[in-house]
Amino acid sequence: MINIKNGMYLSCFLAFLIGINHLFIHHETLFLLLFFVLFILLLVIASQIHKVSLIKNEVKNAECMPEVDDELIHGVILELQQFISQEVNIIEKELERVKMLVSDAVTGISDSFKHLQGLSDEQQQMIQLLLSHSGTMEDREHTSLETFVIDSNKTLDDFVGVIINTSKQSLETMTYTDNMVVQFDSIFKLLSQVEGLASQTNLLALNAAIEAARAGEAGRGFAVVANEVRSLSVGSTELNQDIRTEINKGKEIIAKLRESVEAMASADMTSTLEAKEKMSLMMTHVEEVNTQTNASVEELSIIAPKITEAVGIGVRSLQFEDLTRQSLESIQMNISSIHEISDVLATFDKNQHIAVHQQLVKLKTTCQQVYLETRKSEDSRSVKQLNMDEGDVDLF
Amino acid sequence: MTISSKLSTDGKQIVIAIDERFDFSLHQQFRDAYSSVTTKDLTYILDLRQTQYMDSSALGMILLLKDHVQLYAGQLIISKPSDTVRKILEIAQFQRLMTIE
Repeated sequence: MINIKNGMYLSCFLAFLIGINHLFIHHETLFLLLFFVLFILLLVIASQIHKVSLIKNEVKNAECMPEVDDELIHGVILELQQFISQEVNIIEKELERVKMLVSDAVTGISDSFKHLQGLSDEQQQMIQLLLSHSGTMEDREHTSLETFVIDSNKTLDDFVGVIINTSKQSLETMTYTDNMVVQFDSIFKLLSQVEGLASQTNLLALNAAIEAARAGEAGRGFAVVANEVRSLSVGSTELNQDIRTEINKGKEIIAKLRESVEAMASADMTSTLEAKEKMSLMMTHVEEVNTQTNASVEELSIIAPKITEAVGIGVRSLQFEDLTRQSLESIQMNISSIHEISDVLATFDKNQHIAVHQQLVKLKTTCQQVYLETRKSEDSRSVKQLNMDEGDVDLF
Repeated sequence: MTISSKLSTDGKQIVIAIDERFDFSLHQQFRDAYSSVTTKDLTYILDLRQTQYMDSSALGMILLLKDHVQLYAGQLIISKPSDTVRKILEIAQFQRLMTIE
């Protein structure tokens, strides 16, 4: 302002000098020089005036509502700070909760997978045992159901063979017995012939006795002989009778023998037939069961390693917990950065005597610092995670 | 008659037909039906189409007949047995010893 005033005086003085020169001296060179200096001076003054007017405007604007601005800034920043702090707190709490939930769930799933794997291993061992048993039992001990049925079948066949053979032998015995009966009958015929002889002898002896009586005293001795012969013939007739009785007893015994041989020969085949049918039915059944068991066992042996594999995949997939935890930790770090900013914002209200400008500058620098830190940690984190993806880490 | 035996006109076949029951009571008749036949190279046909019941003595009798047939170089055919009789014959594994038709 003072400069402008001085300039104005100086330019008036210069104009006076130019006037004096024009009226009294008429010196051309001086006129030009003075005029040039005046011109420069006026230019400088004009620019000074422009500057001053600008400054004046600014001052006017600044002085228009300075108190209101500070208050608003404080208010806004306070609200902002409260808002950020509340949101950040909620996010932190939720993060903690998610972390805990994931960790709990993963522990549970991991335990259950381990248990499942154990059970699957056990099952596989049992299947192996079953497989080896079903394969070796027949060879070692001959006690499998199949061989038992085959053996039983064979025994039954043998039994049938024995029955038929017995029948055949009995029938042959029967033939011999019949022949024997025929023989007995011919013995009876012979016996009756012997009986005829005896009666003839008896008659002869009687005749001899009669002739002896006729001879008188001389035939006495002969009569005794004739009598003896007669008694002999009677004895032989009695003997014949005895033989006939004995042979008849023999015939009775043969009749009994015939009965027992008949019983021996005639076995009812119905029960054997039923047994045989049951046996063949059982055989088919055993074969079916065997085939089915073998098929099932084989299927199981295929399924078991698949279960183990699936469980393994499940367990490996549980690594996501680690990655999730890392992500959550990173988010927590970011949240703490926001906290830092929020803390700086909080100082606005407390230190109202410090100029807003200074506080803003402080806020700006803190923001820059936090931004840089966050960016750095983010860069290192993404590098780490990239490595994690590439590496095959078995955590469980 | 529970058993009939008939020689064919050409003299090459002898048919022995059995009634409903084929058991021990027939053994004498059965034996008489063939024992006197001593012709060689005869075909013996045991006709069982009427027979419903058969016990083990019948099987024994058939075996004796088989022995007789073999002795005279003949052939034994069991003709048209019922299902039950066929099963009994199969249990006795007669199908291995003679023809069952």
